[in-house]
Amino acid sequence: MSTQPLTSRWLEFDDPTEAIEFYFSMGWTDGLPVVPPTAERVRRFLEHAGRSPSQIVGEEPIRGRVITAEKVATNAVMAGCLPQYLPVVLAAVEAMCEPQFNLHAVTVSTMGAAVLAVVNGPISRTLGLNSGVSVFGPGHRANATIGRAIRLVISNVTGAVPGILDKATLGHAGKYTWCIAEAEDASPWEPLHVERGLTADQSAVTIFPGLSPIQVVHEVAAGQPGSILTGLSEGIFLTGSNQEEIVVVLTPETIGHMQSAGWSKRRVKELVFEETQRRASDRARSGETAASSNDGDKLTGVAQAPDSITLIVAGGQAGTFSHIIPLWGGGSNSRPVTREIRAPEVEAA
Amino acid sequence: MNATTRLEVLDPTVEPIPMDAALAPRPKTLDGTALGLLANGKRNADVLLEMLREILSDRYEFKAVVTKNKGNASRLCPTDIMDEMAELCDVVISASGD
Repeated sequence: MSTQPLTSRWLEFDDPTEAIEFYFSMGWTDGLPVVPPTAERVRRFLEHAGRSPSQIVGEEPIRGRVITAEKVATNAVMAGCLPQYLPVVLAAVEAMCEPQFNLHAVTVSTMGAAVLAVVNGPISRTLGLNSGVSVFGPGHRANATIGRAIRLVISNVTGAVPGILDKATLGHAGKYTWCIAEAEDASPWEPLHVERGLTADQSAVTIFPGLSPIQVVHEVAAGQPGSILTGLSEGIFLTGSNQEEIVVVLTPETIGHMQSAGWSKRRVKELVFEETQRRASDRARSGETAASSNDGDKLTGVAQAPDSITLIVAGGQAGTFSHIIPLWGGGSNSRPVTREIRAPEVEAA
Repeated sequence: MNATTRLEVLDPTVEPIPMDAALAPRPKTLDGTALGLLANGKRNADVLLEMLREILSDRYEFKAVVTKNKGNASRLCPTDIMDEMAELCDVVISASGD
């Protein structure tokens, strides 16, 4: 346990309501009330995660911001987290400070990307992270507050305040909070973090620079899962061509149809890749300027390769839907990052 | 918390660390200088810079004009382009188009 003192500026108020209003007035919220971060609660969070207040979690070099564990914990308290959620938030912040994530550009761009956090491994069950019904919707504290904590760190600590540095033209609801667990129990395939080099018994968070999602409804005749591919390819088409990475979330029922066809995860990627090949002239008609090639008959796909299509399983049992999440800059200028979540206290519990 | 206890809470923000860098000395005139024009990779940035070059060339005699495009607006300027412009140019104008 660290005895190191907290170094943030202290503020005093007569009651929590006064503090909440002050945080609004300072622009330190996402537009919703925050939990006043008392020193006692921030210390408890840090002790739970075994971190010293001054420990550097990451840096945002463009704006010269050093992100300490104390500031991450403070914003996690404000977001409504429980202490045991802090290791997930810390791992996500570490991940987004990796140079390949290009945090500055992602958080200020007119494209309006948000940070999507996908949690895998035992910790998602320990913390009660939702991977099922209404997985992207409200009602689950761990999902809601971990995602919100990430957002508050982005605005309060790295300074990407909407309208000041964050110049998103539209933005989207994921910028309030965007954290899910993968439904590993409902998936016949290897989990996301295993695909990205970790083991199934490790806990991990993977962050993506996600743009507004597109939900596709599949009408699937029994034994004919091919129509899923047709619907998916139509949905993905307008997200761009030749993308380095694009995320597709498949629901358990959708996966069930694919499983009955004997498709492996790799096979689904290949099929989607093939199904989305279009002639340059078709892309030009849809308004895609990059396709103004002289070779109108040349085929290009939405993705650079089958492995550019990242598949994640989540959602309620009922419903054949796909949920397409295009990535900022076609996944090229910001690469998703996976980090192991180090949480000895939680795993031992 | 009783009636006499004040609520002590923490500031969640951080101040930027000032960059350890000084501004380059400003030339008294652009006459006789080597002008660098660095497009940031967005469409039309090069068009904007070419307009600037025309306007400035009417007013000043440049000994050279160096034009570069960093190619990708979303990434930092590659070090080799930065180094080359620092070596060849006395002043550099960068532009974003869209």
